[in-house]
Parts: sequence; C-alpha cells; structure tokens
Amino acid sequence: MKIAVLMKDVPDLVEDLELTDEGQLAVDELSFIPSEWDDQALEEALLVKDEMGQAEVTAVAVDTGDVDSMLYTALAKGADRAVKIVGEFGRDLPNRARSAVLAEYLKTAGYDLILTGVQAIDDVDGQVAGLVAGHLDVPHASVVREVAVAGGHVRCLQEYSAGRMAELRLATPALLGIQAARKPPRYVTIAKVRQVTKSASLEEVEGELPEVPTAAVRRLFKPQAAGRAVMWEGDPEAVAEQIVALLDDRKLIRS
Amino acid sequence: MVLRTVLEALTAVMLLSSLALFGRRVRAIAGVMKKARPIVRTDRVGERLASVVEHVLLHRRMFRITFSGILHFFIFSGFVVLLIDIVETIGEVFIPGFTVGPVLATIVDVWDVVVLVGIAMAVYNRVVIKPERFAGSDEKDAFLILGLITAIVSGIIVHDSFYPFLAREVFHVPDPVARAHFLGWGLSRLWIALGWTSPVAAGAGYTLGYLLDIGVVFGFLAYLPYSKHFHIFSAVPNIFVRNLRPLGELVPKVPEESIAVRSFQDFHWKDILDLYTCTECGRCQAVCPAHAAGQPLSPKMVILKLRDALNERIAAGGWQEAPAAPALAGGVVSPEELWACTTCGACQEACPVFIEHVPKIVGLRSALLEDGEVDAGAQKALVAFDRQGNSFGQPARKRPQWAKGLDFPIKDARKEPVDWLWFVGDFAAYDPRVQDLTRLVAQLLHLAGVDFGILYEGEVNSGNDALRIGEYGLFENLAAKNLQALEKAQYNRIFTTDPHSLNALKNEYRKLGFESKVMHYTEAFGELVAQGRLTLAPLRLRATYHDPCYLGRWNRITEAPRALIRRTGVDLIEMPRHGTQSFCCGAGGGRIWMEEAGMEERPANQRIKEALALPDVAYFVVACPKDVSMFSASVTAMGLEERLKVVDVAELLGVATGLLQVREVQLATS
Amino acid sequence: MGPIVVVTELEAGRVADASQELLTKSREVADALGTTVTAVGFGGQAASALAGAAADAAIAVTGSAAEVYSPRVYERALASLLKEQAPSLVMLSNTTLGMDLGAALASFSGQPMVGYCTGLSVQDGQVVALSQIYGGKLLAEVEVPVTGSIITAIPGSWPAASAGGSPAVAAAVAEPAPEVELLQVIMPESGGDVDITRSDILVSVGRGIQGPENLELADELAASLGAVVSCSRPVVDAGWLPRSRQVGKSGQTVKPRAYLAMGISGAPEHLQGMKDAELIIAVNSDESAPIFEVAHFGAAVDILELMPVLAEKLQGRAG
Repeated sequence: MKIAVLMKDVPDLVEDLELTDEGQLAVDELSFIPSEWDDQALEEALLVKDEMGQAEVTAVAVDTGDVDSMLYTALAKGADRAVKIVGEFGRDLPNRARSAVLAEYLKTAGYDLILTGVQAIDDVDGQVAGLVAGHLDVPHASVVREVAVAGGHVRCLQEYSAGRMAELRLATPALLGIQAARKPPRYVTIAKVRQVTKSASLEEVEGELPEVPTAAVRRLFKPQAAGRAVMWEGDPEAVAEQIVALLDDRKLIRS
Repeated sequence: MVLRTVLEALTAVMLLSSLALFGRRVRAIAGVMKKARPIVRTDRVGERLASVVEHVLLHRRMFRITFSGILHFFIFSGFVVLLIDIVETIGEVFIPGFTVGPVLATIVDVWDVVVLVGIAMAVYNRVVIKPERFAGSDEKDAFLILGLITAIVSGIIVHDSFYPFLAREVFHVPDPVARAHFLGWGLSRLWIALGWTSPVAAGAGYTLGYLLDIGVVFGFLAYLPYSKHFHIFSAVPNIFVRNLRPLGELVPKVPEESIAVRSFQDFHWKDILDLYTCTECGRCQAVCPAHAAGQPLSPKMVILKLRDALNERIAAGGWQEAPAAPALAGGVVSPEELWACTTCGACQEACPVFIEHVPKIVGLRSALLEDGEVDAGAQKALVAFDRQGNSFGQPARKRPQWAKGLDFPIKDARKEPVDWLWFVGDFAAYDPRVQDLTRLVAQLLHLAGVDFGILYEGEVNSGNDALRIGEYGLFENLAAKNLQALEKAQYNRIFTTDPHSLNALKNEYRKLGFESKVMHYTEAFGELVAQGRLTLAPLRLRATYHDPCYLGRWNRITEAPRALIRRTGVDLIEMPRHGTQSFCCGAGGGRIWMEEAGMEERPANQRIKEALALPDVAYFVVACPKDVSMFSASVTAMGLEERLKVVDVAELLGVATGLLQVREVQLATS
Repeated sequence: MGPIVVVTELEAGRVADASQELLTKSREVADALGTTVTAVGFGGQAASALAGAAADAAIAVTGSAAEVYSPRVYERALASLLKEQAPSLVMLSNTTLGMDLGAALASFSGQPMVGYCTGLSVQDGQVVALSQIYGGKLLAEVEVPVTGSIITAIPGSWPAASAGGSPAVAAAVAEPAPEVELLQVIMPESGGDVDITRSDILVSVGRGIQGPENLELADELAASLGAVVSCSRPVVDAGWLPRSRQVGKSGQTVKPRAYLAMGISGAPEHLQGMKDAELIIAVNSDESAPIFEVAHFGAAVDILELMPVLAEKLQGRAG
C-alpha cells in the first residue's frame, strides 16, 4: 500500500495579516506553518501505516519557498519518503495551479491512497482534495475521518451536518480530504528533525506551472465593522459587570 | 589446638567466598558504569572530601528527621567502631594472645549497647511510627538486615563471654581485657553459674559467638551488594561524586546527540551508582509534591524500578540490548509517573546520599517525547515555543504590549545601551493576570531612577521548561534566539522577574557560552533599597513567604527576598517548609500546561493550607509570576479571598513606596 | 447565456434552508444577468420538493443510486448534466456535499471555483463574489466568469426564498458507481447527553479553554446561568467534550436566546452553526478574532480569568 499525503504551508493566523496598499497579502511579513488539516492527514496516514504494518507513506509538497522543514518534519514523524515538486512556483501559487501540479505528479506515481487536508485557509478554492481528485478522476470523499484499509479497499467516515455520518468504502486508488485524525498529530522533537535533516534527503521532482482557469481576485480586505460587536473595555471584573447587566436587561438571569 | 585451626580455616573460607561474591557483583555494576555516559565528578577533591565529612560523619541531612537521624547515627557509628571487634576477634584466633587493650575493648561493648538501642529505635520506627515514606520500600529486607546486625552484636557478646574460659583452658593465653568487655563479662557469670566453663563448652560457645559475629559479617559482605544495604559501601563514594556544579544546571554540557535515556548506557555513570546507593528511606517520596497530590509518582520508586530492571537485565546477561525487556521510559517507569514530576528538586534536596532524581526523569521524558508520547497541553506549549517563542501562542510582537499605558518609555536594549537589562519572561509579559505586576516593576525601576531596558520582541522563552519537558533541541533553539538578542544588547547587568528564566540564564546558558551575572529582581531591588534609591514606609503587616523552587532550592536565593520583605516592614512568619525545603506550587517542569488527571489535591492548595495554619497571617508573598497565577487560582478555588491574599514582593514594594494605594486596609484575619 | 444551476440538498423531503438561500440569491443574479435558474435535486422525493421551488426549471435526478448521497454517483450525474446545460454559474452550499462536489466538478469541467462565498452581486455586468478566507480574517473580492464557474456558499449568507415557483421538473437518471460504496448512514446518538439545540442559553467554549481541566470553569458559569455547555470543533477533536456538544458545520446548528462564545475565534464553519442566536456575547483575548464580526457584544479579555468572576457575580444574583 503506497500512501501519499499532500501537504502545504499556510500563514500562521496567530500573526496579524497585513495587507499591501494594493489589497494583497503582505506575504513577506508572514510566518508559515503546515496547514493544520494537512497535519491531521499526515497523522491519519501514519496511523493507517501503524495499523497495516506495511505501508509506505510519502509526504508530497510543491516547493513554494520554504517547504523543506515541513517535509523533514513529516519524515521525522514517520513518513518513509518525502517528495518536493520543484519548478517556477512562488509563495502565491494559487491552489488551483497547485492542484494541477500535484495531479500531474500523482498520475504516474502509483499511489493507492492519497490523503490531504479537507481544506486550507489561504485561498478561495482551498479545497485541494476535490480539485486534485477531479484532475485524477479517482474516487474521492471530503470531510472524512477514521480511515482504514482492508482488502484493497479504503473505508472511512464522512461527516454531514448535525452529527450525521456515513461509512463509505472506496476502491483504490482513492483520495480523501481529512477533517481530523483519530488522534491529535504527534509531536516530533527538534533534535529528531535535525537528525533526519542530516541523514535523509528529499526527492525532487520537476513540475511545470500549468494554465488553469481562474477567478481574478480584485482585492483582499479585512471585514468591516458593519455588524461588529460592541466592544467592552476594562479588566475581567468590569467585563463581567457588563455581561451581568446585559443578561439582566434581557431577562436571562434566573432569580 | 584443633579448634584454632578449624576457626582459622573457616575464617579463610568465609572470607574468600564472600569476597568472591562481593567482587562478582561489584564488577557487574562497575561494568554498567563503564559503559554509561561520561561525566566529570572527581574534580575539586578538597570540597568533595569536606562534603563526605559533612554528610557521612556528621549526618547533616540525616538529622533533618531527628528520630531516624539518631537511630541511623547509632547503627552507622556501630559499623565504624565495631571494626575494632573484627580486628580483635580474628586477631585472637590467628595470633595467640592478641588483644586490642582494655580501652578499645570497653568501647566495643559501649557500642554494642549503642547499636542495640539504634536497632530498637529502628524497629519502633518501622513497626509503630510507620512513616508513609516507607510505602513501597522492601520491608522484609530492612528487617533481615536489622536481624543480621542484631546477630553480629549478639555474637560479639557471646564470644566475648566464652573467651575468658577458652583463653585459659584451650588457647592457654592471658585475657587481660575480659573485664573490659563488660557485657561478655556479665554473661560469663551466667556460664559459671551454669557450669559451662569446660574446654568443650567454652569451645562450642565461642564458636557459636564467632560464627554469629564474623560469620554473619562475611555473609553480610556477600549479601550487601544484592540488597539496599549496599549503601554502606556506595554512599561514601556517591556523596564524594555528588554534583558540585551549579544545582540548577540540568545538562552540564552540550549533548552529542540527545539527552534521551533509552537504555542504561544512556545514563551517566553517576546515575548508575545512584541506583545502588538508594536505601529506600523514602525521604524523597515524603517531600514530593506529585506524590502528595495523589499522582502516581514517587521519586523513590523511580530509582527502585530502574535498579530492579537493571538487576534483572544483569542477571539475564544482556543488559545492554534487552530487546524483549520493557522500555525504560514508558515501561519500567510509566509515562504517568514521568509526566507528573514538577522538577522541583525537593527529592534531591532531601536525599541523604545525594541521588539525582530529576536528570533521570527528564532523560526518560525525553525518550517518551522522541516517541511522540507527550501530554497534549505540553505539546501545545512546545509547538507554541517553537513557532511563537512563548507558551501562550501569542505573536512575538505582542510581547512588549504589557508596557502600554506606562507614562514613560522603556528603552530597547538592542538599540541603545542600558545599565540594567530586564529579561521579562513569558508569564510576566503575556499573562493578563500578571501584567499589572510587570508594569509595577517597571514603575518601581523608574521611581528608583534605574536606567533599564528590555529586549522587546527579541526575547523568547528562556527554554527552562522546554528542557525539563525533555526537549533539549527546542531549548537550544530558544537559547540561541535569546543569545542573539543579548549579543546585540549593551548592558551592565541583567536581571529577571522570573525564577525559571533566571535558572536558564544563570545555569543552562553557560554551556552555550553565556557568562553574565544574572540577578533575581528581589536581589536587584534589595540593592536599590540599600542604596536609598527607594524609600519605604513600613507596612506593618504579617505575612509568610513562599520560596519558588527555581529561586530558593535550585539557586539558593532565599535570603535576598526575605531581607527585602523585611525592609518593607513586614513581620515575616515562616511556614514549616521554607527556604531550600520549600514545597512546590505544582507548576514547574511543564506541569503548568499538563492535564491534572489523578490529582487528588493540588500542591498549590496544600501549600495554601500550610500558610493558613500560621497564626494571623493574611498575606502570602510570592516572587515568581507563575506562583502569582497558581496561588491566586488556589485561593479563589478554595474560597479564601477574604482570608488570605496572594501578593508579589513587588506589590509590597509598590505600597511601601506609595506607588500603589492599599486597596484592602485590613483583611479579616482573627 | 446558460442558466444558473443550483444544486439543492433535501432535508426530510423538503429543499433544505441552505439550498433555499442559494435559490434566492441565484434568482437575483439571474435577473441581473438576464438568464434563468435551474434547480437540481436528487432522489425519489426531489421531483415533488422541486415542484414548488423558486426556479425556472428543475431537474430531478432519480434512480436507486441517487437516493442517499454518494460522492461518486452525484458527481457523475452532475458532470453530465452540466455538460448539457452549459450553465453560466453553478451554485452549491459549502456543506460536505458542496466540498466534495464543487472542487471536483470545477477541475473536471475546467471551470474556476470560488469557495466560502458569503456575498454575490452583479456590478456593471460583472459577477462579483465575496469569499471568506484565512478563517474569516480576510474577505476576498473575486470576479467570477459566467462560463460555468462553480460557487460554494456558506449557509446562512442570504435569506431563504420567501416566494416559491412552479418550474417544470425534468427527470434524469443517476448511474450507480460501484467504486464508492455507501456502507451505512450513522445517525447522531440521541439521549445520553443533553440536546444543545434545546437550551435557551449556551456557554460555548473553544480553543481558548486551553485544556480539559478548565472545563469546570465553563460548567460553573453554565450552572450559574441555567445554561448548557457547548463548544467548537477543536474541543471535540481534542476529546475534551463529546461530539453532541459541537456547534457548527459538522455539528449542531443552534439558535439560543443567548450564546456566550468563550475563547472561540469564529472560523466560518463555527459561525455557520450559531450566528442566528438572538444575543451573541463573545470573549476572546484576540481582539481581531472573526467571532466579533457576528457577536453583538464582545470583550478582549482572558476567558480563564473572566469565567470564574462572571460565575461568581451571577451566583450572587441568583442567590
């Protein structure tokens, strides 16, 4: 069983997102972290591998700048291989193009199961799972968890609203958009990543920037204070007073 | 003369076989120590010898528990003094007419009594007092050993009581010390009354006493290295090779690969010696905050489990590999035990033979961490340290935001020279509950006219906790970032409000080449007050002071905060556990982020109860931002806000200088 | 210009609220563009459900394979429908179904895609969408070509259709797709835990709760208000609260009289489940958190500090 995990890094939302005067994201100001759903996908892949005993997990990323540490981290966590698709790709590579690049590589790479995060925060079409699946024309499902492999098939749970779920069985090769792994993503020590960085190497695959249909983004902007909350100032004591007064006013306090 | 020959032969056989057994065991242990990681512990010989005198001959730590200290001193001194008897007894068998003289002979009998009193006290301690610290120790072994010692002492009296007859009737030598052995002399009166003075009776009686004494001594020698009483031999060297480097330095030099302990070879050789020095006295267990909180950790059991596992592996022949054996981290010692440790160091402080528990626990934690087994909360903190440089997961640029609202600017020490550089620390900078205090410290410095600055967003967490969670690599990264910022800064001295940062800067950064003198703010403010740069109006209140582990115990800074508190006019009442014997709040070693599963009573709550028992004490003074968080939470949770108020030393200074208005004039205490 | 195709979802035999919203918005855009709206539905009940839909035409995709959602079957059926219809726009909800089908159809058909859409308008003949990105921290203004672009919209972005219609319902048949097999549908466990949709007041906690040991603070606060504790997704994923407590896209949709969001940043998936609450009070130490966009009142303080103080004050009131 060959499993690929498609990974990407996204801006760390802990930091404020600064916009340029042209309404574009000031990419250089940002720090990047692995997309949290991709991290979940990697964890689920590693758990599937643990369960099966013999599966090969490959972390795959398009080289949009500094993805090496993300891939080495994946190796340190237990991935068997790491593939970096290199080419003329910038930090602002749209997901649509990214998906096409990934699909081009995946077409011939012979994976049985491809996992990736259900979405990424950084684009209007951040749903890489569906986009890649469309290119590959393979069975796929998004918003899934609890992946298991048996008898050449892949089983998983797909989540709907209000807690409803379905259990699906997909023929391989299949592609899944992971919502959450069964367990929180594992920790990997800095020393281990350093050691892997020294001892392992990333496999580089050439990729080409494809022509893809796009919807032009005119500008980005921070949501304006149209419906913005009335903000209370002061210390927690003062805020608590305000809340009590408001709830009292709305007759929401039991007496 | 047959008897003499028989006794000589017997002695020789016993001596050789017990030495062989003893030697075999010691060789096995030494073999493990040889393969273990190196560490320098034989420098500073003078200091080491002095420490042996202090802790072996004078029993300094032993006497912290008076009853146990006395009984142990009795038995211990017996072991030394009764060597005279061994010389005398073997001497009189091998050299006709040998004697140690009446003075030494009398001393032997005096110490027979001393040892017997010690044994009686030990039995009373184990049977009647039954301290909790013995829970988990090998009681059978303890009684066996006490029995053997009783046998030796009895043997001495018995062979001394028959020797006068034997000397006269069989050996035909004088016995000038017969009366000096007053116990044996007394007993010999009984033999005369019973008529057991014939050569045969004397020979039989003497042989029995000889075997009870010398036979058991040799038996003891052979058995010792297999029992906890090996400490008779290992305690002296273990105390000699104790850690003389700064106490707070967990890792003495940059490790070649990792600090993780997966096999016994990954320990330092001193760690191995530690395992065979433990006497199972449980003093570590008695002071452990995790144990007191009902968590599964006992430092004693960690040592015993490791020792037993090593013994099994030595017995099985392949201790180096042991592929089928359970992992040390997570198997021999469970993850729950390892993660429960607050790294407060109370165990090491209590250990009479200087066993170092914390480095072992951290090494084992590191192995768990490498396998990805870590508490979710701790993992979150580690990831936040790595990404944002602080445990709060807040952006680096928000670090100096606490300073907003001050009516004076704070210098950026990276851009302009300052006299005092303030390493603020995470909690002081980010925790909204502590930020008021941080501003107050700035105001106090300003008031005293100190030219000070901070590193702004150039500062990251010191790495003290990351290291103690077992993440050396992360510690190194954090330290490198701080050192880079410190490199750029120009300052005359550096101080910090956070004991955990203090410990890292002062002790852990040395191996990375950082040698500046680092002060705690209580030391620094003490100077300001002494120089008259801060004028204090006396507060006239009664308070107790809690020593933070990383200030008092690990860095021996206990007097500076007390002196400063007294200067503010506070009547300081000590809790029973104070100074280097302080009781941890439960937050250290990364515990502050971890789940409290299995916690019956939080250490912080227990500590608050300890303070409540003091008469008329309404203020609980702390000198650590984490303590402010921990103890305020406890006081609130226990509903004691009206009874006890948690205040930082800085707040006392704030009120005494008039910077702060007293909000509560008098708390209802009586 | 081709029609706007709206892929509807049914709930209990009716067109779901989220799909009704799509129909409303599509009608408005279609009018501005001078085109029509075609509603597509799946399953045996689709024909009757769509008969009264606010659309100009409707297509009911039937067949045993179409009864219950199956990604591959629906995707195949829609792909061939879209080929026939040559639509100007395709509208889906940003639900599981929309996330499955939207992106895949876009790359199948070589069309642009705009996800997380919360606004759609026609400006000078150009269709412009607003899309929430970066967890709702930024909005993107996107020019959408009317070549058949795929839009997935966040439910609750627009009002549901008030007026219906009477479109002619055409039929299509879905082919089975054995490569994706639906083994079973699992309904949420009922009973056992409380029903968060029935509580008047919810104290809802998010990542800001930091650890399970702090949940007692939320419990105490809830007790002092006669409220129930609910949460956002990360709290469930961490295993700190059961799934039945989850508010949001994959959890429950709630409309309590008061919703106290404690330490919830307000990802679009969460907002979807609670933004219709009568009164929303949000507390989060990050003052730029998107939750403050939907909250009526807010404060940027530490919830761990606030909750005990608030609980105490409320207890004082109740006592």
